[in-house]
Amino acid sequence: MTSRFFISVIALLSVNAISRSAEESDDCKTASADCVAVGHWNFGVSLGGGVRTNPVANGTNIPLVVIPQFSYYGKRFFIDNLDLGFTLAENDTNTFNLVASPGYDRVYFYRADLQNIFVSGFPTNDDFTATPGSQSPSTPAPEKFPSRTRRITYLAGPEWTFKYGPVTGQLDFLHEITDQNQGNEIRAAIGLPLIERRGILTANVGFTWNSAAYVNYYYGASNVYLGGSALDPFVKLGYTLPLSRKWRFKAFAEYERLAGAIANSPIVAEHHVATVFAGAAYTF
Amino acid sequence: MQAQAALVDPGRGDIRLELSPRICTLGSDDKQCQTRVQASWHSPREESLCLVIVDRPEVKQCWERYAQGTYTIDLVFSNDVTFQLKDLELQHVLASEAIRVIREAIQYRHKRRQPWNVFE
Repeated sequence: MTSRFFISVIALLSVNAISRSAEESDDCKTASADCVAVGHWNFGVSLGGGVRTNPVANGTNIPLVVIPQFSYYGKRFFIDNLDLGFTLAENDTNTFNLVASPGYDRVYFYRADLQNIFVSGFPTNDDFTATPGSQSPSTPAPEKFPSRTRRITYLAGPEWTFKYGPVTGQLDFLHEITDQNQGNEIRAAIGLPLIERRGILTANVGFTWNSAAYVNYYYGASNVYLGGSALDPFVKLGYTLPLSRKWRFKAFAEYERLAGAIANSPIVAEHHVATVFAGAAYTF
Repeated sequence: MQAQAALVDPGRGDIRLELSPRICTLGSDDKQCQTRVQASWHSPREESLCLVIVDRPEVKQCWERYAQGTYTIDLVFSNDVTFQLKDLELQHVLASEAIRVIREAIQYRHKRRQPWNVFE
C-alpha cells in the first residue's frame, strides 16, 4: 500500500517535471540568495552558541557551537551538506528533485553522527550511552541505550520545492534505501518572511511524518514497545542580518512536537525537541 | 558598430590608434575593471585631432600639428570602452579602438530551497 503510494507520487512528479522541462529557468543571471554558481563548491561556517534538546531518556543535549556547511551545484546534480540530489526540472517557481538524505533521528543516539557535525555542529566528547536515572516507583526504568545498533541510513525519493511570492515550500517523499528499516518519511514545510528590512525575520512551519517501520527502528523497544506512524509538527523563527559581504548574524529557534508514537516510547523522556542558536555565519 | 565605421574619415585611415590593455577579463567575483589605460596614436603626417571616449564627454585630449601622441587615464568600467580620434570639431572619427570586457562564463542555477531544514 505504502509502496504503491510512493510509486504514484514519483510518477506524478516525474510527469509534472517532464511537462515542465521546457520551462527551464533562465532568471538566475548572477549570484544571489536564491541563485548559485554552477560547478563551484560553496563553503561556510557558523560560529556561535546554541543547543538542541535530546528527547531520548538520559540523552545529552546537543551543543551547537561550530557548524560547517558545504554545497556543490552542478547543472543538475547537487550536494547539499549530507544530501545528494538530481534536479529533474526547474523553473522560476518550482523545482523537482530526486534526493537522498540521511535518516535524521540517529543524531539522538550517536553524538558522532555526521549530522551532528554538518547540520548541528562539532561533537563534544560526551557520548549518549547513559544509565537509567532515578525513577519514581511507578515509572519504568528507561531502556539503557544504545542497547542496539542504529546504523546510518539514507532515505531517497522525489522532492518538490517552490517559491510563490515571498513563500517558499518543500515537500519530500522519502523511502529508506539502505535496507535497515524500509521506512518512509514525508518532510513538508513552508517558509514566510515576516520582516524584510536590513535583516530578515522568517517563520517556518511544517511537519515530519514517519512510518511505523522508521519509528520502531529508532524508538521501538523489543518486546516492550512497538509504535505506530508519527506526525511531528514544528515551528521555527529565524533571523538573518548581513554584517558584511562575507559575514552575517544568524539566529533561530525551533520547536518540534513529537507524536505519541515516539513520545510514548519507554526510551523517550520528552515530548518535544527544542533548538536555539545565535551566532555569526561566514561564507568562504 | 557598422554605423561607427562608416563615420571614419576614409581619407585619413592611416592614423593608427593603439590601446593598452586591449582586454579586461572579469573573474566570477569581479564586478568591474579598474585599470590604467594608455592610448597611443601615430600618423605619417602632422595632424590636429582629439582623443575622446564614447559616452564619457568629460574625457578629451587634443593635439595640434602632431604626428603622434600618448594619453594615459585610470578607468573603472564594466562594459566595453571605445576610444576615438576625431577632428578638432569632433565631427569625423579618424580612428577607433575599444577595450573589450570579457566575463568568465559562469552559469547560475537556483539554490535548493529548504524550509524544512532546521538551519535554513
